[in-house]
Amino acid sequence: MDNAQKITKQGEKNVEKTRQLYKATPNVDIYENEDEILLHADMPGVVKENISVDIDNGTLTISGVRKLEIKGAATYEEFSDVEYVRSFSVPQTIDVERVEAELKNGVLNLHLPKSEAAKPRQIEIKTA
Amino acid sequence: MFTRISDIDRLFGTMNLLQRKLDNLYDDYGKPSGYRWELDAAAPRTNLYEHGDNFEIRAEVPGLEKGDLNVKIQGNYLEISGERGTDAPQGYKTHKTERGVGSFSRSFTLPADVDSTKAEATLKNGVLYLTLPKHEAAKPKKISIN
Repeated sequence: MDNAQKITKQGEKNVEKTRQLYKATPNVDIYENEDEILLHADMPGVVKENISVDIDNGTLTISGVRKLEIKGAATYEEFSDVEYVRSFSVPQTIDVERVEAELKNGVLNLHLPKSEAAKPRQIEIKTA
Repeated sequence: MFTRISDIDRLFGTMNLLQRKLDNLYDDYGKPSGYRWELDAAAPRTNLYEHGDNFEIRAEVPGLEKGDLNVKIQGNYLEISGERGTDAPQGYKTHKTERGVGSFSRSFTLPADVDSTKAEATLKNGVLYLTLPKHEAAKPKKISIN
């Protein structure tokens, strides 16, 4: 009885909130070669100032907020203001200091270079 | 146990929510992980706004250049088509390809005829903005009250 009451009363406790920014997962492509890991993420409509890229303790988080000005009345809307968020675990061998990011045509390109120590090295065999 | 009708109502609401979750569970099953799929199935998402004498169309086209897009207008018919090439670099191993590749086409019937000669299109940050002025006959007219 008590439990059931608690569950059903839950709805009444919720306080009205302002509208939260809707969160979405951007589509990404990830490539890798010996020197770096390359990440492309679709973020249409996001401007450079509203993008953040964080690498913390082996977790890479990209986030971009899209805010578009609306003129007039919407007849229909299939997309709206959104926050693109996605996290990845990255190997510790990434050289955090040299990470580069660029934004072009709504696509975020992230270069994650591997540190020198982590690169494969060709060992030369000497004849005795 | 339940003292009010609203309590019972809420219980059914929860059950419906669960039902919907279960229904959606298998929607993504068997989808070829995004490749040649995403853009075709949901190509490209658009918004339509109307303000005064203009229609404004916005479409999400991340990664596309000016030359990749085609916009055709005839009367109240609008067609946006384009092709998204791959930007996969050479000599890299591929871990994930979720971003669709390939061509798409989408057509719309606008609520009124537009003047195609004055239509403008701009591409900014991966969003296509089309400003389409309404045709003379379709423009709103102010009626003066006598």
